Amino acid sequence: MSAPRASTDNSAGAKRDPRGIGWLLLTPLLGWLGLFVVLPTAILFVYSFCQRDELGQVVFSFTWSNYARIFDPVYLGIFGRSLWYAGLTTALCLAIGYPVAYFIGRSPPSRRSTLLLLVMIPFWISFLLRTYAWISLLKGEGLISSLLQGMRLLTGPLDILYTPTAVIIGLVYTYLPFMILPIFTSAEKLDNSMIEAALDLGATPVRAFTQVILPLTKPGIFAGVLLVFVPSIGMFAVTDLMGGARVPMIGNVIQNQFGQARDWPFGAALGITFLALFAITFWFLHDRGEVRR
Amino acid sequence: MKKRLSSLFAIGLALGAALDLSAAKKEVNLFGWSEYVPQDVLDKFEEETGIKVNYETYASNEEMLSKLLGGAAEFDLVQPSEYVVEALVKAGKLEEIDFANVPNMKNVGAEFLHQPHDPQQKYSVPYMAGTVGIVVNTEKVKEPIAGMADVFSGKYAGRIVTLNDNREILTWALRTLGRDINDISPAAAAAARPVLTKWLPQIKVYDSDSPKTSLLNGDVDIGVVWSGEAAILFNEDKKFAYVLPKEGAHLWIDSLVIPKGAPHKADAEKFINFILRPDISVLISNAFPYTNPNLEARKLLAPEQLANPASFPSPAKLESFHDIGKSAALVDKLITDLKGGS
Amino acid sequence: MQTHPDTQLEWEFRHAPPPAPPAGAPVLGETMVQLRGVTKRFGSVTAVDAVDLTIRKGEFLTLLGPSGCGKTTLLRLLAGFETPTSGEILIEGHDVSDIPPYRRDVNQVFQSYAIFPHLTVEENIAFGLKMRHVPVAERRERVEEALALVSLAGLGLRRPHELSGGQRQRVALARALVCRPKVLLLDEPLSALDAKLRHAMQLELKHLQRQLGITFVFVTHDQEEALIMSDRIAVIHRGRIDQLGTATEIYHAPASAFTADFIGEANLLDAAVLANNGVTAQLQLGEGAEVSVRSSAVRPGATRALVSVRPEKIYITRTKPAKENTFRGVIEEEIFRGAMDELRIRVAGGLQLMAIAANESAHEHAWHKGDTVFCAIHTDDIVVVEQK
Repeated sequence: MSAPRASTDNSAGAKRDPRGIGWLLLTPLLGWLGLFVVLPTAILFVYSFCQRDELGQVVFSFTWSNYARIFDPVYLGIFGRSLWYAGLTTALCLAIGYPVAYFIGRSPPSRRSTLLLLVMIPFWISFLLRTYAWISLLKGEGLISSLLQGMRLLTGPLDILYTPTAVIIGLVYTYLPFMILPIFTSAEKLDNSMIEAALDLGATPVRAFTQVILPLTKPGIFAGVLLVFVPSIGMFAVTDLMGGARVPMIGNVIQNQFGQARDWPFGAALGITFLALFAITFWFLHDRGEVRR
Repeated sequence: MKKRLSSLFAIGLALGAALDLSAAKKEVNLFGWSEYVPQDVLDKFEEETGIKVNYETYASNEEMLSKLLGGAAEFDLVQPSEYVVEALVKAGKLEEIDFANVPNMKNVGAEFLHQPHDPQQKYSVPYMAGTVGIVVNTEKVKEPIAGMADVFSGKYAGRIVTLNDNREILTWALRTLGRDINDISPAAAAAARPVLTKWLPQIKVYDSDSPKTSLLNGDVDIGVVWSGEAAILFNEDKKFAYVLPKEGAHLWIDSLVIPKGAPHKADAEKFINFILRPDISVLISNAFPYTNPNLEARKLLAPEQLANPASFPSPAKLESFHDIGKSAALVDKLITDLKGGS
Repeated sequence: MQTHPDTQLEWEFRHAPPPAPPAGAPVLGETMVQLRGVTKRFGSVTAVDAVDLTIRKGEFLTLLGPSGCGKTTLLRLLAGFETPTSGEILIEGHDVSDIPPYRRDVNQVFQSYAIFPHLTVEENIAFGLKMRHVPVAERRERVEEALALVSLAGLGLRRPHELSGGQRQRVALARALVCRPKVLLLDEPLSALDAKLRHAMQLELKHLQRQLGITFVFVTHDQEEALIMSDRIAVIHRGRIDQLGTATEIYHAPASAFTADFIGEANLLDAAVLANNGVTAQLQLGEGAEVSVRSSAVRPGATRALVSVRPEKIYITRTKPAKENTFRGVIEEEIFRGAMDELRIRVAGGLQLMAIAANESAHEHAWHKGDTVFCAIHTDDIVVVEQK
């Protein structure tokens, strides 16, 4: 009886040690997080309760007014629109990205890396360059416009650039890989026999998809949704460049506070609110999306 | 990206400077707009005086302010726009310039001096100036465009690019209403609102960085833009005409100033005097087609440079911006609201 | 229609054209599945090569073979995950070659079990019923039945990750059985279990199959498992059926060297045919080891024969027994195997044999290296598997 007890003690001891080393190994990451995530967020949090002086410098006197200002219908409306744009972007990325990711995940391993590479290649090119490429594609005298007119599918020049449609195109283009990659990971892990079992048990391909494949790739879908939804709410470059800055999103408003308006406390309040929204979204999705394995 | 590169460059320079301490090399730290001071001007200055110029850049007055007030770096020279000069003077952040060291100040045209931002001309020296006016693609727009009322008549809805600058946009409406452009009050905002409600939906693109792009691409036909952009457009294609709105226009003046506590004040004044030399000033004009306030330098310009209406427009009613302090929040809210509603 | 337990009839059905499905209860021995010249190629690789196979209603048939022999492909063809390159597959007389898996009355137990991790045990088992639109009340009833059948009653609300390997295996079984398939396909379902549990499950599966009367097609590479469980075994080798027969037929009368070697242990010996007088044939296994077999086992005119002798069929004694086919040898190696002793015996002429002898009293330690012993083999235990 004593022998097994001794071995249990040993294993517990053996477990304790690696945990200590584990923390040690995590130190650089924790340090990085503390220095570049926690600390700036704390500063932002403090600023959000401060005021600005005539020169736009932050003055440390407590006020709720920055948060009160967010509830001004002007900014609330922009929050609402940002959510809507980000939601639409996420939905489109999911609709376009899921089949692609699934296809790549289910293709033979030898071809998989090539296909993944194709998804990643755009990242090798600067974001601004790619955005300007889109501008020259979409502009009234651009390639797509001339092509459509040449094919007599369009009578006038294409009027997409500097519209919300262009913003959505830009957002979907920018964030599509962030949807594809996590779903790919889920699809790749999906055991083929799960799909065969579903078919074997009488599920048509459609029902096998909805009843088995979809639930089993849910972790990838949720990760993808988070990775696309959250940054697309805050995106300002695409809105400026492809949307002609006509319809501001919350990212543009925040950017403006730290730039032209020189109202850091209000920008900080917007940022903190945005962060809180993100945390709530994450918590909500995580709670629901957890696959109980 | 460019910003990051330039700051890396600055770090490199700072390191270099630190290593050179033993040699006691003389230097001046210039914090200026990006693409504003030609490199050959800096090289010539070093050649003649042995003073090295460390040129760090910014993309907006606001960026410059946060760095300057943050106090992280010690700058000897900064290039703020007029309303920022005013704010800095008010806040006591500038050194008085010893004009005994700047004899070339005599070259600057009188119309650029004693402006509201520096009435006694104690703190600043005009570097370059310009206006905000209307660029018209005369191939597409046949009717004459004389002012903002023509731009926003409704005829060119969806064919207009303007600066993405909330205060600038508001002043167009205020001027049209005959109000003081520097009086930013809730009443002024309320008055401007109906005008802007009509105007903003007609704008296709807001772009401060490169409004020429959409004009060159043919996506819009009219622009309300910086004169510098208009000058480049005119050089590119003569079909782009530049008009100063008859209601009046914003005259901006970027000046050289010396921040309080600058470590190399005397050398900074040497640099200011150097810049004001006609043969040097003309180099700047050759590189960047802004309005040169240096009248002696203008004499050295080629006729076609002087003929560019965007660089040297015909006289008009010009006004410069004052600092509006906290009213910026009011402007931000108004324009954000109107843009969001469109 | 009467049921016919008679095996004679079974034989007749096998050779008669497929009968019309009976109106009443299934008749043991009727044809359930028929494969006619089924071939499956993947590119240049032929996984299944012109296989003809008849599977009877209610039988436990095992497809046995080493990995890569084509047995799994054969199973997948039956399930509908693959379509044959040529040939046809009939289930109860209907060609199903082009019917997708979800429209076949065939269910499979997967090697990995393929339990849906996002569903409870109950939901897993009900899955097939739900897909077939069985009403909820009936569904519940049948799930309960199935749970009881595999001794998992009361665990319906568990999540798959809360189950042991054996329990998951039972869930997979219940999930397939609850659909009442015509044929249950099992793809090495016991391979992930430990030896003891595996043996228990072998018997349990066998009993379950008897109890339900469902046709089982079982794939395994474990010959012992095949021998224990099957009514009939099809030994698969290189995409073909090497031998089809009952466990005893295959064990005692392997039709090929491959089968002899693959099933159990065998001494495969290249023998010279010395004489054949029509009653007995004389074979020389090696110098000093001559044996006689029934003449009928050797084709007239054959000069060489490959024979298989099971190690436990070699009778080892210290004194010369009064038996036919006896020769002398020396123990070269003795390996203790618990219940048995494995002996390597060298016969004078150089021939080496493996024999298995009952382990006698440990105190005496009966067999030692270097002992001279006599080997005797019964005529019927010398099986000619190849000759020329």
